[in-house]
Amino acid sequence: MERLDHAGAQLQVEDELVIALPKGRLSDDALALLEQAGYGLAAGNGDRQLVLRSVAEHVRYVLAKPADVPVYVEYGAADLGIAGLDVVRETQRDVLEPLLLPFGYCRLSVAAPAARSDRPLRLEPNPRVATKFPRLTEAFFRRRGVSAEIIELSGSVELAPLVNLADLVVDLVQSGETLRANGLVEMRTILDSQAVLLANRAAWRLKADTVARFVARLRQILES
Amino acid sequence: MPTSDYHNHARWPLPQGVVDLFYEDAAEKRHLEHSLRRLFTSWSYDELIPPTFEYADTLASEAGTQIAEEMYRFTDRDGRTLALRPDLTVPTARVVGTRLYDQPMPLRLFYVGPVFRYERPQAGRQREFTQAGIELVGAGTPAADAEALALIVEALRLAGLQQFQIVLGQMAFFRGLLQEIEASAEQVAQLQSAIDRQNPQDLTAALDDIAAAGDVRRALASLPDLHGGIEVVDRARDVAMNETMASALEWLAAVYPWLEAFGVTQLVSFDLGETRGMQYYTGITFKGYTAGLGFAICSGGRYDDLVGHFGPQQPAVGCALWLDRILLARQRQQGRSQLSPASVLVAADGCPALAALMSAWRSRGLRVELDLAASSPAALRERAAQRSIVRIVRCLGGDLVALEAEGAVRELSLDALAREADLWSV
Repeated sequence: MERLDHAGAQLQVEDELVIALPKGRLSDDALALLEQAGYGLAAGNGDRQLVLRSVAEHVRYVLAKPADVPVYVEYGAADLGIAGLDVVRETQRDVLEPLLLPFGYCRLSVAAPAARSDRPLRLEPNPRVATKFPRLTEAFFRRRGVSAEIIELSGSVELAPLVNLADLVVDLVQSGETLRANGLVEMRTILDSQAVLLANRAAWRLKADTVARFVARLRQILES
Repeated sequence: MPTSDYHNHARWPLPQGVVDLFYEDAAEKRHLEHSLRRLFTSWSYDELIPPTFEYADTLASEAGTQIAEEMYRFTDRDGRTLALRPDLTVPTARVVGTRLYDQPMPLRLFYVGPVFRYERPQAGRQREFTQAGIELVGAGTPAADAEALALIVEALRLAGLQQFQIVLGQMAFFRGLLQEIEASAEQVAQLQSAIDRQNPQDLTAALDDIAAAGDVRRALASLPDLHGGIEVVDRARDVAMNETMASALEWLAAVYPWLEAFGVTQLVSFDLGETRGMQYYTGITFKGYTAGLGFAICSGGRYDDLVGHFGPQQPAVGCALWLDRILLARQRQQGRSQLSPASVLVAADGCPALAALMSAWRSRGLRVELDLAASSPAALRERAAQRSIVRIVRCLGGDLVALEAEGAVRELSLDALAREADLWSV
């Protein structure tokens, strides 16, 4: 059979590493680590560019929303990525997690209004739970046999109990300041999270040497 | 109530996870299936065509809990539970165990067909997808493993993939390691998941959970690092703790010279942390990856206990290609193929003698499209252009036809047309 020329622009070149970086909370720490490892951003990358060059010739970065990083990596659009364990577990993407990174520490917790009685969660018949993490939240309650009504929000989850939209919230907690300011108290931790390096399964095999060198270099920095 | 199409599921024409293939996609898939049948046959494998559904008990028996959960089940009229086949290895084992057990061994069988799994939508997953695979039954030797692997490499080359790699695991090594610990099924699953995802923190937690210490802990913790070339087997000898583990490594060492003989070592790597996969695997396992696709394109392994579940015990090894993923990878690497257009468009009205000529062309393998609408010359030209057909034959009455090709129109007798058509290539 005859083949047509391939029209799609190819981002992936053999032995080049494409790394997905999360915009926002983790971005500064991630860039600092990469800089230290000798893979910092090259000068001359535009402000609004989403594909960025590194000072290392064979490394390129793509900027993505944090929750999308595992998706880029699973599909192989990026060979590696940096994301929080929270989004990795929530999105349930089939990726490797070879290296934990020492930043982005936080926990996913169940919280309730301070005025709530201290009745155990498992006695709740049908609590309404507001969250940005519907899968992890559902798993937590289902595992305990509690049939929770999951209310998926895309932001300001702490607001939900104040306006009687939900009885409980499941959200990321760093210092606990936001919860306290909204009259909420933490009840239970669902997941301890931190940043993690992700790897695509095929790239792990097909670009084994390049990927291994990169991971080894980061590990060296972290251990020094 | 919202009235958009999104909320009116009853009007969606197709369930999730299945696809329609047509034009070049259908042609490419059939072409690949055809080439693979020829390849497998040339290695002396015979085709097996098992039924699409069977008793759920048969299919789930040893396939493992995960795949059992993913089966499409329904009830027969007598109340027994049936299921669509989630793979083709178990049906093959059933056929061998119940019907072909007294045939001269080894048996070489292949299959090409759809399998069905109720999987949540994820990268590269469909709920109906096609597998083409081989099973080599009745040969429990490293040479048999190497044959299966070499044939799969041949198949991936034939499929036209540019860059691929097959990862060899050894289930027996991990099983041997499990003999040294006491762990519940759930704890083992946690261990496997941490090793599989290469996650150091989860692995530490899983090891703490089973209170693994000393040599066992060192061995389990080393699994994620035991990947690379054949030197992995040597490195793993340091952590082998019992006869099962040692002989699992000797087996891999014995397979390697055969891989050299088949000339496929460049395309193969070893990974002893590869412990996921079907529960029925007992020895070597295969998993293939290609550039531009984040998930496996083939998987297989040795399953020495499965046939014995249905009849007399027979060692066996096999591997299945995920055709849809291979086609996807090839299209990403090389673009789509072009559908071959018809060779000629014929307006035969008024020339009954053309019928014999068209029939002869078709048996030669030419694609001949008939005009059904007594179209005008202009309409014929437009139709031919739409369908990329390079020739038009139009009846002028009696023994005379007009042949339009390469922008020129000529009048010919039927005999002259027959002689000229002999030169048209298929």
